[in-house]
Amino acid sequence: MDIHKHSNVKKEYQVPFGSNTIRLSGFEWILVAILCSALFFLAPVLWGSVEKFETGSDYRLPYDLGYDYWLYNRYCRRACSEYETLVVGDSVIWGHYVSKDNTLSSDLNENIGQDQFANLGVDGFHPAALLGLLKYYGRDISNKNVIVHLNPLWMSSQKHDLQTEKEFRFNHPKLVSQFTPNIPCYKASFSRKVSIVIERYIPFLSWTSHLKMAYFENMDLSMWTTEHPYKNPLTAILSRFLASEDENLQENVSWAEKGIAKQDFDCVELETSIQWRFFRQTVELLRARDNQVFVLVGPFNEHMLKTDSFNIYQEMKREIETWLWQNNVAYYIPPPLPSEFYRDASHPIAEGYAMLAKQLSENQSFRSSMIP
Amino acid sequence: MLFHTWPFAVFFLIVYLIYLALKETRFRLLWLLASSYFFYGWFNPLYVVLIFYSSLVDYTVAARMEKSNHRKMWLSVSIINNITLLSFFKYGGFVTDNINNLMSFVNIPYAIPTPGWLLPVGISFYVFQSMSYTIDFYRGNVERERSFIRYATFVSLFPRLLAGPIERAKNLLPQLDKTTKFSSQDITDGLSLFVVGLFKKIALADYLALYVDKVYTAPEQFQSPALILATFLFAWQIYFDFSGYTDMARGVARIMGFRLMLNFNNPYLATSLGDFWGRWHISLSSWFKDYVYIPLGGNRKGTFNTYRNMFLTMVISGLWHGAAWTFILWGAIHAFGRFLTREMERTTFYREKVPTLVKQLFVFTLVTFAWIFFRAENIGDAWIIITRIFSSGWANPSCPILALALVFAVWLYEYVYESRIRWLLELRAVRIGIVVLMIFYLMVFAPSSEQGFIYLQF
Repeated sequence: MDIHKHSNVKKEYQVPFGSNTIRLSGFEWILVAILCSALFFLAPVLWGSVEKFETGSDYRLPYDLGYDYWLYNRYCRRACSEYETLVVGDSVIWGHYVSKDNTLSSDLNENIGQDQFANLGVDGFHPAALLGLLKYYGRDISNKNVIVHLNPLWMSSQKHDLQTEKEFRFNHPKLVSQFTPNIPCYKASFSRKVSIVIERYIPFLSWTSHLKMAYFENMDLSMWTTEHPYKNPLTAILSRFLASEDENLQENVSWAEKGIAKQDFDCVELETSIQWRFFRQTVELLRARDNQVFVLVGPFNEHMLKTDSFNIYQEMKREIETWLWQNNVAYYIPPPLPSEFYRDASHPIAEGYAMLAKQLSENQSFRSSMIP
Repeated sequence: MLFHTWPFAVFFLIVYLIYLALKETRFRLLWLLASSYFFYGWFNPLYVVLIFYSSLVDYTVAARMEKSNHRKMWLSVSIINNITLLSFFKYGGFVTDNINNLMSFVNIPYAIPTPGWLLPVGISFYVFQSMSYTIDFYRGNVERERSFIRYATFVSLFPRLLAGPIERAKNLLPQLDKTTKFSSQDITDGLSLFVVGLFKKIALADYLALYVDKVYTAPEQFQSPALILATFLFAWQIYFDFSGYTDMARGVARIMGFRLMLNFNNPYLATSLGDFWGRWHISLSSWFKDYVYIPLGGNRKGTFNTYRNMFLTMVISGLWHGAAWTFILWGAIHAFGRFLTREMERTTFYREKVPTLVKQLFVFTLVTFAWIFFRAENIGDAWIIITRIFSSGWANPSCPILALALVFAVWLYEYVYESRIRWLLELRAVRIGIVVLMIFYLMVFAPSSEQGFIYLQF
């Protein structure tokens, strides 16, 4: 056993170093740092080059990988090189109740007869998360045409707007502001917040999250092997193909047929809305990256609103339009689709998407800014 | 604020940078003390009052002892104060529960209210450390510490505050006595210790805990293979958890220029229970040897008295771990194990004919059997586990193969370390390769949850 000698410590105080030989010198630690840095830098890059990831026409990220920001980043890079226009937003853009060839981007492609629009929507991307996503994982989006979808649902209550003081679980907490500006309902531990911030700047860390989500059912290896004690983790990695999967979410049924009643929405004031503030920042971020931005507002299911909520919503729409107009942002606020074309408060069904795509394609502002 | 969390990383970075700036000034100790109290107060600010009180009493006792003709009385004050402190927080519930059970048994319709306070983390460790100072001073083994700041720092030094090692005054106080001079090797050594500890804790202990907790939470739902494997894995879990903590504590201290004592030395390669206790939680077992076993008479007064002293020491050691009958039984089993292996070692056959590997497996089996009592929630659960191991069916245990493979890899490493081919592990490429692998594994596969250390509950 190694005995550490030191001028300060008399002979009787000499202490054995340890019970193993893993004791590195300064030079050896430098070698370790170089090797680890190389691994950290190369592993995600090499992985990206060997992992099967075939996108193809009308691709959208698999539903269960909505939290896989490394994959989003990878798809974003590919979409930027293959498509003229990127459509970003939440599940309305992703196409929650429709198949991948009935989404807005798919219908727009069909209307113009070529693959120009890429579906970069993901379930649950509220404006606060969308800003974080584009800031940290969508850095490749520059000098592109970008359609940003604003779903007014995110401002339809204090809870949706993340304004409540009481903590609750919301979508994509890793993407929202961790320290400033403060989000009242987000109360993760300091340790967790620091980890999240670090992960945003180190691709290696988001890559490890990708491994967990894509291959280990969103579990770490230890939990996964506990759940599947006799399975080989390597087999799990080799078995998955990151193709666009049409999970069984398709429902071509209207909200009325589903028995959903009219509702009161306690919409927040735009002036104090957290989500609206983040949405504005998203538009500014995209424009600062020299993108041509086009904002699509709604179409919200106004048929579902009771009278008071309807009036408040109209006022909100007017304020949104004013800001977009004042800031020279190209936009389109479509009229509500027919009631039977909505699945719920914000998601159209296949026919709804087709109609929306048609309306957009005929819109002058859209044609001049998004269709070259 | 545990070693493997971000708050500690931030805390240590700030503390260390200022410590480097102050290391040659008179504010060094004050900064160390303030940092240690902040570290402890992070868990609960009231804990700081407790550790300050404990330090103040023992510091004052030593000062009085120096000038007094009644040295023994002052020593008694220290011992009574420390034991009372420990009993109040640690054994209050245990004692009242047992009295209430007894009264209920003899039909006395009264129950003493059970105290509801929580056990302050680390109290068992710093109380023992502080008490060892007054005993050593009484015996003339150490000089009196004149500075209260230095003494309070000795008791509360944050790397070892929560779960040891339980340092002796003659080791740690002199290191606080002088302006610290440490070399770059201290930093690299500290890093080496820390990385190994981190791997043991996060990649191994927390992993094994998943299976162990599942089985031990509801032992009646599992059959023999699962119970055997969970007990086997717990033996390794607690080793990785506690020795991992100690490695990290020693690593952090080493980076700051302090050398804390070795606390674990490949305990599962022990060839007797005596050997095991020379390798497991060395700072505690040597404490009990010096301050309980030897004062009781040690092995000086014949076989019966030796075994009686061993038995008492082991039972008290069990009680130190926790206020429950399971811990007392655990201590008693170890005592009987020590008698058994001691007697076996006296035979030429065992000493010379039995292969070392067989002895190691025998000791490991004994120790692992005792862990059942240590880990079980209560005696009833321990009994269920033991009876089901021998009487239930052979259902598929669903134990992760990877966990068993990792344990085997560590055992193999330790076995080679104590063999003639140890030089293999000392090759630069092997050492660097292992560290890179550990770091890579931690970064890619380690669990994201932050589990506490088992020994913090003691």
